[in-house]
Amino acid sequence: MAELTTLESPGLDFKRRLKVDLFPTIWCPGCGIGTIMIQLAMVLEEMGLDESNTILVTGIGCTGRMGSYMKHESVYTLHGRTLPVAEAIKTVRPEMNVIVVSGDGDTASIGGNHLIHTVRRNARLTVLCNNNEIYGLTGGQTGPTTPTATKTLSSPGGNPNSPINLQGLIRSSSHAMYAKTTVYHQLHMRNVIREAIEHDGFSFVDITSQCIENNGRRIGFASANEMLTFYRKTYKRAPKGARQLAPFEIGVLYPDGHPSAGDGAAASTQKESTGTAAAGRAAPASAPVRERAPVSDEEKARRRAESQKRLALMSRLDPAVKLDVATGKISLADALRAAGIDPDAAP
Amino acid sequence: MRKLTQGNEAVVRGALAAGADYFAGYPISPSTEVLNVASGWAAQHPEFRFLQAEDEIASANAIIGASLAGAKSFTATSGPGFSLMQEAIGYAQKVGVPCVFVNVQRVGPATGMPTMPGQGDLMQVKYGSTGDYSPIAFYPNGVEETFRLMVVAFNAAEESRSPVVLLSDTFVGHLNEVVDLDEVGLTVSVVPRTIAPLGRHEAGKPRFFAGVLMYEHGPDAGEPATADGDEYLRQFYETKHRHAEVAERYALYEHGWNLDAKVLVICYGIVSRVAAPLAAEYALFRPIRIHPMLADEIRAIADRYEQIVCIEANDGQYADMVELALRREVKRVPLLGGRISIEAVREGLARVMSGGPSEPPIPPTPADRAERSPLGIG
Repeated sequence: MAELTTLESPGLDFKRRLKVDLFPTIWCPGCGIGTIMIQLAMVLEEMGLDESNTILVTGIGCTGRMGSYMKHESVYTLHGRTLPVAEAIKTVRPEMNVIVVSGDGDTASIGGNHLIHTVRRNARLTVLCNNNEIYGLTGGQTGPTTPTATKTLSSPGGNPNSPINLQGLIRSSSHAMYAKTTVYHQLHMRNVIREAIEHDGFSFVDITSQCIENNGRRIGFASANEMLTFYRKTYKRAPKGARQLAPFEIGVLYPDGHPSAGDGAAASTQKESTGTAAAGRAAPASAPVRERAPVSDEEKARRRAESQKRLALMSRLDPAVKLDVATGKISLADALRAAGIDPDAAP
Repeated sequence: MRKLTQGNEAVVRGALAAGADYFAGYPISPSTEVLNVASGWAAQHPEFRFLQAEDEIASANAIIGASLAGAKSFTATSGPGFSLMQEAIGYAQKVGVPCVFVNVQRVGPATGMPTMPGQGDLMQVKYGSTGDYSPIAFYPNGVEETFRLMVVAFNAAEESRSPVVLLSDTFVGHLNEVVDLDEVGLTVSVVPRTIAPLGRHEAGKPRFFAGVLMYEHGPDAGEPATADGDEYLRQFYETKHRHAEVAERYALYEHGWNLDAKVLVICYGIVSRVAAPLAAEYALFRPIRIHPMLADEIRAIADRYEQIVCIEANDGQYADMVELALRREVKRVPLLGGRISIEAVREGLARVMSGGPSEPPIPPTPADRAERSPLGIG
């Protein structure tokens, strides 16, 4: 049933978010990044977010090239420096959605210090981390998330160190949202990306993805399909109410005090169907004072409907007028009046 | 109102006069006052954004992000922090991001002598980041000039679409002078933003700000040009010529003709203040725009003098540039270890003018630490 909903959703028109004329991408056949890009494009399409209100910030590595294939203004930063750049953009232009897309090496290794402090400052960013457990672009060296004992080019005897605990690092903040998903669980991925963008605070989506060329084959997988099958068989949805994700569990962990982190009441039918774990118990009485009230699910639904309506109306305007509206030169109501469109009529 | 104002405070006041609305920084002596004053201003003016970053790498990248988002942004640091910012400065050069970096120099290398004054970062400004680029840098020698040059730096950054460096030093930064910056502020002209902020692009043409070489025009626009030497040449010279053209507008220097003198003394920053009494015996030249070097200006002036001496608080970094540009011998008086005084200047000048070496006599090692200090703590 869930798949049927997807087909009817407006996200299906995601291709107009992508620069398909630049395809094929530089990514190897079987790579998981393309899947993430398509899911992100679908979410943006569904939410009515477009190039005038959403900025992508990407880092060095295979994942960083995503910015060049999407029709959004994007900044391809230095290696590891996505977060300071993104945080500054969000500070200067708080009305913009700033989405950071980068790999595990970029985010957790060279940019690890920035990650710690951006989480601490609760920058209102969405980070999509393509976690393929390897440095793929340079040929397959041990990354910060490479599991212990994995053989890579730079650890031929097996990785002697344990991988970084991204979940613990993000969850050390009282306002950050952490989600874990995989490239196999596409619907789940799409839903958590959406929840991450809607989260009012720092949100981090840890997406396990396959790098067949520079990792998978070396550790015994014959094809990308085998890796995806492995994800299907090993990754399970976290039990409802989980406050921590065990290894090989997918789900969403909200900060304490968040409506969705309560006793499961906030777990809507959509969440039921996607396996989002409603984390934790009710907020403690001494919950820390929050800067802004958390957004309820009803409010999110209302905002979503509003943005979709706005998008539908915008799509009927002349491109030049549309830019004027986007840049704030004229209001949408004025533009619609000038074009003779009734804003209350159903699109 | 005329008021006792510090050099580092003038950095912030100048930035505000230029329309700056974003500051990111990390505390480091002797530039910390810039951070303090900026945070104080931000507390009273919410439209001015302030970030105390986790390190200089983050602050340098944050001002790049802020600038791309539409703010006029700046940061301030000292030598060690400036080293950490080099990668970001190169990135801003490549991507074409207008922003201003202030380097209040101290004695290096590394942690060096915090916080004695030095001028050792001249070459770091020019060559610090990877690859070839053409930076613009200014160096004031007083509080009012710091204010004015901050505005000039922002204007040059906008016009050249690149980062501009304002050099300073411990003494200029901590110099207190009575000035009326409000009145000075009325006389400066400000260049508005030259690049459209993120999200305000031409309809249907979203930009991709990349540190990697990309095709900017034509059918391949948006594709990487990482193996195309022709594209590199086009973009490199386009940028270089743009920077040179803008730098030409700000060919700032100060020169006091002294037709009786046979020797031209070149000094800048705080050394030019300290060496001011030399004006009676020598012709003085003070470059204000440090990079690109004022080759034509210096050549025209230096032709009248038999000898050139560079006095600077480093081991002859500007002297090297002058020598290379003029193909003439330049004598050096290095004021190392933070010893910037008129006595040191006169002593050094006397030494090199009498044919002696530029290297000062090396002081003897203290034989016994206890002899120097009764507490034995040197």
